[in-house]
Amino acid sequence: MRLLSFAGLGLVLTVALLFAVFVGDQGPWYFAWVIGTVMIVLISGAGAILLDAQQEQTSLEEI
Amino acid sequence: MDSYALLKFFWAGILCVLLIGVGIMVGMDMGVGTLLRFVGRNDGERRTALNIIGPHWDGNQVWFILGGGAIFAAFPTLYATSFSVFYVVMIALLFSMILRPVAFEYRSKVDNRVWKASWDWVFLISGFLPMFIYGAAFGNVLEGVGYHFDWTGQYHQDQSFLLYLINPFAILCGILAVALSVYQGGTMLMLRAEEPIYGRARRYATLAGWISAALFALGGFWIRHTVGYVLNAGGDPGMVADPLHGQHVIRVSGGWLTHYANYPVLWIVPLAGIVCMITGPVFLRADRPTLAWWTGAGAWTATISAVGIAMFPFFMPCSTRPDESLTIWNSSASAYGLTCMLVVAAVFVPLILTYTSWCFYIMRGKVRTADVTHDSHSY
Amino acid sequence: MEPIIPGVVDLSRLQFAITALYHFMFVPLTLGLTFMLAAMETVYVVTGRQIYKDMTLFWGKLFGINFALGVATGITMEFEFGTNWSMYSRFFGDMFGTPLAIEGLMAFFMESTFVGLMFFGWDRLNRHTHLAITWLVALGSNLSALWILVANASMNLPQGAHFDPATMRMQFDSIVAVIFNPDAQAKFVHTSVAGYVSAAMLVMGISSFYLLRGQHRQFAARSFRMAALFGIISTVAVITLGDVLGRMVYEHQPTKIAAIEGLWHTTKPPFEPWVAFALPDDAKQENHFEIGVPFVVTPLVTHSFFTPITGMHELEEQAAPHIRSGIEAVTALKAWRDGGSADDLARFNAHKADMGYGFLAARHAPHNDVSSIPASKIEQVIVETEPDILPNVFVTFWSFRIMVFLSLLFFGLFAFASWASLKNRLERNRLLLKLCLWSIPLPILATEFGWITAEAGRQPWTVFNLLPTFLSASTHSFSYMVFSLAGFAILYSAFIAAELFLMFKYARLGPEDHTTHAGLAKPHNGDQFASVPAE
Repeated sequence: MRLLSFAGLGLVLTVALLFAVFVGDQGPWYFAWVIGTVMIVLISGAGAILLDAQQEQTSLEEI
Repeated sequence: MDSYALLKFFWAGILCVLLIGVGIMVGMDMGVGTLLRFVGRNDGERRTALNIIGPHWDGNQVWFILGGGAIFAAFPTLYATSFSVFYVVMIALLFSMILRPVAFEYRSKVDNRVWKASWDWVFLISGFLPMFIYGAAFGNVLEGVGYHFDWTGQYHQDQSFLLYLINPFAILCGILAVALSVYQGGTMLMLRAEEPIYGRARRYATLAGWISAALFALGGFWIRHTVGYVLNAGGDPGMVADPLHGQHVIRVSGGWLTHYANYPVLWIVPLAGIVCMITGPVFLRADRPTLAWWTGAGAWTATISAVGIAMFPFFMPCSTRPDESLTIWNSSASAYGLTCMLVVAAVFVPLILTYTSWCFYIMRGKVRTADVTHDSHSY
Repeated sequence: MEPIIPGVVDLSRLQFAITALYHFMFVPLTLGLTFMLAAMETVYVVTGRQIYKDMTLFWGKLFGINFALGVATGITMEFEFGTNWSMYSRFFGDMFGTPLAIEGLMAFFMESTFVGLMFFGWDRLNRHTHLAITWLVALGSNLSALWILVANASMNLPQGAHFDPATMRMQFDSIVAVIFNPDAQAKFVHTSVAGYVSAAMLVMGISSFYLLRGQHRQFAARSFRMAALFGIISTVAVITLGDVLGRMVYEHQPTKIAAIEGLWHTTKPPFEPWVAFALPDDAKQENHFEIGVPFVVTPLVTHSFFTPITGMHELEEQAAPHIRSGIEAVTALKAWRDGGSADDLARFNAHKADMGYGFLAARHAPHNDVSSIPASKIEQVIVETEPDILPNVFVTFWSFRIMVFLSLLFFGLFAFASWASLKNRLERNRLLLKLCLWSIPLPILATEFGWITAEAGRQPWTVFNLLPTFLSASTHSFSYMVFSLAGFAILYSAFIAAELFLMFKYARLGPEDHTTHAGLAKPHNGDQFASVPAE
């Protein structure tokens, strides 16, 4: 099972790499969209988690 | 046959499959819409009926969208001409089609009797009308359409739209399509609903099954006496895709049965349709909705294939200038475009069938009225 | 060619503009909200806190109300090319239909199938599978936009096809050229990210509404924070990509860029001012009340200091030889199509590159047929055709400016909002909250004006330099158009009324009650952050 998931992960990484090389070359803006969108989602998610942490550390209830 | 001709033939086949997909999947949802007011006597029952197709109607509808897209890409001349020639009918189809997604999403979001009753009527209209037009379009095309092209490839209409609306054969085809869709919708309700919806759906679906069998047989006899179109000269499968040059077409009474006369083995297809339409209601009486669903799918497949065989290679025969009739060979896209699309379809169609089945599998099982009314996310 | 009824073409354009702009009110929200939902659900799966699931469910409900109309009005778009633009659909079907069909196969099927599971599958799927489904819906809706914009880019910058006189259609040559069309790339990212801005503003505005009222505070604070960060990065991206798109237009569509910047005469760099305000007069071909910012337009458009931008008067003059050659091309083409000789074909091939201008001149030819222009009248037809190469400058100029000024406003608003949210000073800045609430419709307005800039600026062509708009429409009678327009007007007005009513209703209702009592205190499986103060 573990071997299988390693193989799966390896496959995903290879595909991602090929995608990055090909699309990054032919369509840099498409590539930028993929990276950018994931970044936007992760940063906004991180912002929410930061809010959880901020509220935990201070006793203030201000928002 | 050269490769271009083969590509055209392939795409005509794929188009046929898409039209069958529209009949089965979209027809099923529209059948439920048509039946909604009759199988559901109160709000809870109607919501149950809606939620049976709730998770799937949007995906199913893509068969319809994809049908349009595939005609556009693979047979641009057919797309441009047929949609414009049938303008008023097409716009009526559009109006009823666009009401449906809104009805699903909005109907149960306001707890008001007038609001809900209005949307229930919308379901009836947006279930009945598109299916009727879908069938009637086949009828109109079989009878021939009046148009001609000028040298730029622009079409010009030669007949008023009233001729397409008030046409007994087209009306027969329209009712046949509605009957098949009501049958399929009723069967779907039986698969996933309990009493009393189950029993009511069985009654309507059985009736629709008998009606479709009768109309299909009647249409078969009728077509023997209507004027069909036959390719007389030219029309080479590998021809340049230009409807203005390269073929000679004649109009013959009973011409649509030429292929059946030449190759009697083809009669298997319409016969299979009749068999499906007759055995379907029998399965329903025996409370075997799964089997009945598949015979319904078989009925759609056979009906559209039978029309396809009769018309081959015509798409839209022209009644005023038969030589400009649109066929598989003269209305297609370029070889390169068809090849590209074929590769894309070969990759994605199996994928689509896989995840669509998976979705049906995940959402399987009976839908209960109590569950629907307690879930704030249901339709 | 049979004579064209001008009124029918105008009504077809009006109908298409109305239905497209209407469709485009809902699409940007779909593009952005799906990814915002994906972000919220990701946080839910990572932290396991119920409040993030409530956020996904609540914003998902608003998404659903909006999505239904997006789907419904999208059906219209798919069929309208055939019903109203038959000549265009036939001429350009290979190039335009193919991306549309691929869109259905690759993206729309995925989005539509999984959206059902996203709404109904919460109890039937485990958390990770459901999260994957939400991401697939987001990916699917944006891939849909990708293919639509690939198709649209082919109209603005046709590449990967050639005209075939035997079929009178553009024949597809290279799908790679179509997909990686530079215009398609910039346009897709610009449009998709503009959708993110619209969605972020909606979420931020409604969250502000709760904060102003002191309702659902924890819920609103988290939604606000996520939306503000989502919005600020997206706004930066949308402005950057807008600049890229502007360069693309400068390189390939000189008439559009001159109209956008209101440049009637070729610029004199580097001093040439950027026209910030003016009332362009299309009839007199000049600007009134012009207010400019010196030294800006050259680097802005050309990314250099000394490259002149060709003005509209000069473009008209340059068009004359093309129109003359185009008339030759179309005359030869018609002769060849009507059974002419190889000579006709050779004559056509010699002038093939200017064919589009020949079609454009048909408007001023007797019976819309350039082959019937008497030799003495040719120069007159050319002079009459020259101004036709320009789009409506007033519309292009102002729709572009409204879009740009709005995007700068969003940048300021999101920057301030992100700062206030990160510092937990939202409730002190009530003015900010009010601004956010009232700004909800503005990004949608900006995207609409962006669309108008792109498509009004493309005129007089449907396929740039190849097929004029007035030739592209179906040959309907006036009454057909009145029938369909009236129908769309009635239906679409009813839809927007119902949509707004439901959006307001559900926004007022707010997230369901279990947020307030079970939300923070009881995460569903042993959470180390369980000590967060509850409301």
